[in-house]
Amino acid sequence: MATTAAVQQTKWWTGGKSPFNLEYGKLMMWYFLMSDAFTFGAFLISYGTIRFSQNFWPDPNVVFNAFPGAGHANLPLAFVSVMTFILIISSVTMVLAVHAGHNNDKQGVIKWLFWTIVGGAAFLGCQAWEWHHLITGKHAILVNGQLDIVGQTTRINPWGDLASQADIATAIQNTPRETLVRLAEMGGHGHEGAAHTNFAALSNADLIKAIDVEGLHIRENGPVAFGGYFYGITGFHGFHVFSGVIINIIMLIMTQKDVFARRGHYLMIEKTGLYWHFVDLVWVFVFLCFYLI
Amino acid sequence: MSETTTVQVVEVKHAATHHEEHGHHEQSFISKYIFSMDHKTIGKQFLITGIVWAIIGGFFSVLFRLQLGYPEATFPILETLFGKWAKGGQIQPEFYYSLVTMHGTILVFFVLTAGLSGTFANILIPLQIGARDMASPFLNMLSYWFFFLAGVVMAASIFVQTGPASGGWTMYPPLSALRQAGDGQKIGTDLWLVSMALFVVSSLLGGLNYISTILNMRTKGMSMTRLPLPIWAMFFTAVLGVLSFPVLLSGAILLLFDRNLGTSFFLSDIVINGEVLPNEGGSAILYQHLFWFLGHPEVYIILLPAMGMVSEILSVNSRKPIFGYMAMLGSLFAIAILAFLVWAHHMFVTGLNPFLGSVFVLLTLLIAVPSAIKVFNWLTTIWRGNIRFTPAALFAIGFVSLFISGGLTGIFLGNSTIDIHLHDTMFVVAHFHIVMGVASMFGMFAGVYHWFPKMFGRYLNNTLGYIHFWVTIAGSYLIFWPMHYQGLAGVPRRYLDKRGWVNFNQFGELDKFITVVSIIVFVVQIVFVVNFFYSIYKGRKLRTENPWGANTLEWTTPINPGHGNWEGDIPEVHRWPYDYAKDGREFIPQTEPVGASESKH
Amino acid sequence: MQHPAFEEVTIHHHTDDATFKKKVKNTTILLSILTVVELAIGLLIYNMHKGEAPNELLVLMFKGMVCILTLAKAYYIVSVFMHLGDEIRNMIMTIVVPLLLFIWFIAAFIWDGNSYKNLRNKYDAHYKESTMPTKH
Repeated sequence: MATTAAVQQTKWWTGGKSPFNLEYGKLMMWYFLMSDAFTFGAFLISYGTIRFSQNFWPDPNVVFNAFPGAGHANLPLAFVSVMTFILIISSVTMVLAVHAGHNNDKQGVIKWLFWTIVGGAAFLGCQAWEWHHLITGKHAILVNGQLDIVGQTTRINPWGDLASQADIATAIQNTPRETLVRLAEMGGHGHEGAAHTNFAALSNADLIKAIDVEGLHIRENGPVAFGGYFYGITGFHGFHVFSGVIINIIMLIMTQKDVFARRGHYLMIEKTGLYWHFVDLVWVFVFLCFYLI
Repeated sequence: MSETTTVQVVEVKHAATHHEEHGHHEQSFISKYIFSMDHKTIGKQFLITGIVWAIIGGFFSVLFRLQLGYPEATFPILETLFGKWAKGGQIQPEFYYSLVTMHGTILVFFVLTAGLSGTFANILIPLQIGARDMASPFLNMLSYWFFFLAGVVMAASIFVQTGPASGGWTMYPPLSALRQAGDGQKIGTDLWLVSMALFVVSSLLGGLNYISTILNMRTKGMSMTRLPLPIWAMFFTAVLGVLSFPVLLSGAILLLFDRNLGTSFFLSDIVINGEVLPNEGGSAILYQHLFWFLGHPEVYIILLPAMGMVSEILSVNSRKPIFGYMAMLGSLFAIAILAFLVWAHHMFVTGLNPFLGSVFVLLTLLIAVPSAIKVFNWLTTIWRGNIRFTPAALFAIGFVSLFISGGLTGIFLGNSTIDIHLHDTMFVVAHFHIVMGVASMFGMFAGVYHWFPKMFGRYLNNTLGYIHFWVTIAGSYLIFWPMHYQGLAGVPRRYLDKRGWVNFNQFGELDKFITVVSIIVFVVQIVFVVNFFYSIYKGRKLRTENPWGANTLEWTTPINPGHGNWEGDIPEVHRWPYDYAKDGREFIPQTEPVGASESKH
Repeated sequence: MQHPAFEEVTIHHHTDDATFKKKVKNTTILLSILTVVELAIGLLIYNMHKGEAPNELLVLMFKGMVCILTLAKAYYIVSVFMHLGDEIRNMIMTIVVPLLLFIWFIAAFIWDGNSYKNLRNKYDAHYKESTMPTKH
């Protein structure tokens, strides 16, 4: 309460002091983050604008349903919740690191910074897995009157509307033999090499019979902007996480070398902390825009 | 503990506590003039770099004016200089578009953003608020060097084989997104985008510094309502830059992706040279939204510093207090907010939803209110003043004149119905050149003439200053006034040869006239540049600290202040900066305590 | 301790460990709960989409709820983790007020995006036919 009274009594704007009782470095960090919020905001709003200008948009639960080690089980939202929790927890450890800095507790800063770095690295690992899974994924789609097998890239999107049986029946006749073999090999649930038949030896007509059209859930190609925005925005966010991890590592080394102890304060840790929380904050919105709605 | 403190955080305080040492401190040439962390030197670096770019950008405009005025003539010298770009002494279409693009980019970003607010924010903020330096001198130095780097990349793009970007300074896709579209869309456009990204970093570093310096570093007694108006203007400029430049960065990044990674953010359904492109689902209008979300605040990033400096210069040279100080603040604030709400008035005819457009019309016309407040306040400030017609005062008055003339045509263009007729014509060119380009140049000239003595301890030559002013003001109106008539008659901008249209032929002589005047005006700017550099070394020396009899703090520093600005303690401030002609005194500096019997202002 | 770097700072805050730890713990639990609720709603929307002819209005309502929950999460992260809630009022305002620009930023962009779709559907029959999802 004593502090509140002092805050009210001080003439903040008369010059000779910070009107916000804040050291300029923190002020600059806050306004930088505000600026960065507009960068991310512009990306996400562009994504929204494009999404609103399309007649069809893929359902995120269909796109993001994989989990490492779970094969082809349908687990919508599972993996991304793990990523979200990793980031929230790393934010908590960062708060603790900043608090330890307040108390000039060098060992505490080192401990909690270390766990923050671990959290950041784990998040980046998850993102790398997700990207790799999406890019190398094998999805049967109907495009240009033929069937094809593609992953999610910036140039093609495999999650369009489900194709009609009639269209598929026509398209399958125009599909090159090589693709037919691969389609047959995918079996029922996109599970390549499920059966042990030597499909390459079959005739085209038998191949077509062997393809499990029902089980493949063949779709048309979806809006390509989906991939561009997904990789662009999560990539830009991942770049922020990456730079945050690097900054945290530098802070860890500086703490270890007593730079801040000699300086008498851990303001740099506070500023780094603001940046790290901002990265978490952005993820909250990326999570919302790409995975939830 | 403070003895062992490392440099980074406490550089400024270091200067504060050990200012005596700085006088004797021997600095190497590199740390004093190149990688300097002194805000005054950085300001001069911005100014001189800006001047160099202004000459380049101005020269480009002379080149394309030659083409517009004399489309049938050949100039063999051009082929000597530019080779295949001016084959047979005639400017080739691709070269023409490159010139226009570079002229716009250079003048808008490098001259009127970095050269104007970079210069004067750096020089004036610490001096006028009573600070030793910027909050972070190191980031301030980085700000200049990122700008320099952006300039290097842009300059490099002029020398690549396929030439610089030629998509217009707004760089609209799909034209700018497709390499196949022309030579200028090849490596030149990539370099343009990279240069812009570097420029955004520079302006961000600068802007953050200006904001936190103004908030945190004011001397004792310098409350926000005692700040001189240029500082308020720089403050809002910095806020605009910090909030809008990142959106341009986003747009530029997405455009780079479209160009290099095959994404479809801005591209859809395109057939080029008979080739059907696979891109699908993007929206070219989206880029325009992103661009103008920056682009419109950018107009005020250019204008506000000029407005602030003009307010100060008019008050000082009329020997009268500024009229309506709080109204000036309020209108600056209103302009800063409205700047963010009106961007789509640049896009009325792009396929923008017409109803949405009408909302933008309403918001746009609201800007007339704060603009008018400012104009009337300037006029009432000089009204019945004891005006000293220094070159700075003349340029400030010229600014007001141009701001009125150009502002009025803005009311035409802000109405979407009239804009359907006037968009993309010479009317638009005339409007924004007068209100934003030339007016801000006048603000910048006013600032240079007024603060040159503070920067270099010498005066600029007055006679050359008067020649510079009268030719430039007359020339500006002679160049741009006729363009309104061309525009009303439907003459399109961006066309390099209009001889094919019978109804535009009547303007052939007028175009020649405009070209001749622009060459004269360009030559007179060279006179200014000569005056500038000559006066740095040989100008008349300052004999007094306060040559203009001004109240603000920068005139309490030594004639050639060192790093740290004041030799003793930083002066304390006791009053607002506009106590002119008060209680029978010509001026009362801000540092003077309020007397017991003094009347209230 | 008056450190040179703190010259601009007038009052130094000290939070005691116990209150601080409790606050962080509570916020962490709250953020986790909010996230779990979001995920639950996300799955709900997924299951509605799987069924026949989902109620568009209901889906929209659920999506709106997720948006509000996200804003709540953002509020707690900024206010507690970034300590903005502990700053003095004017500082909070300099952060919050400029963010209001997002309202018009989002509204105008989305509005025009939507209008672009409608215009294309109206004037480009091929576009409409080839991109409008059909129910199989």
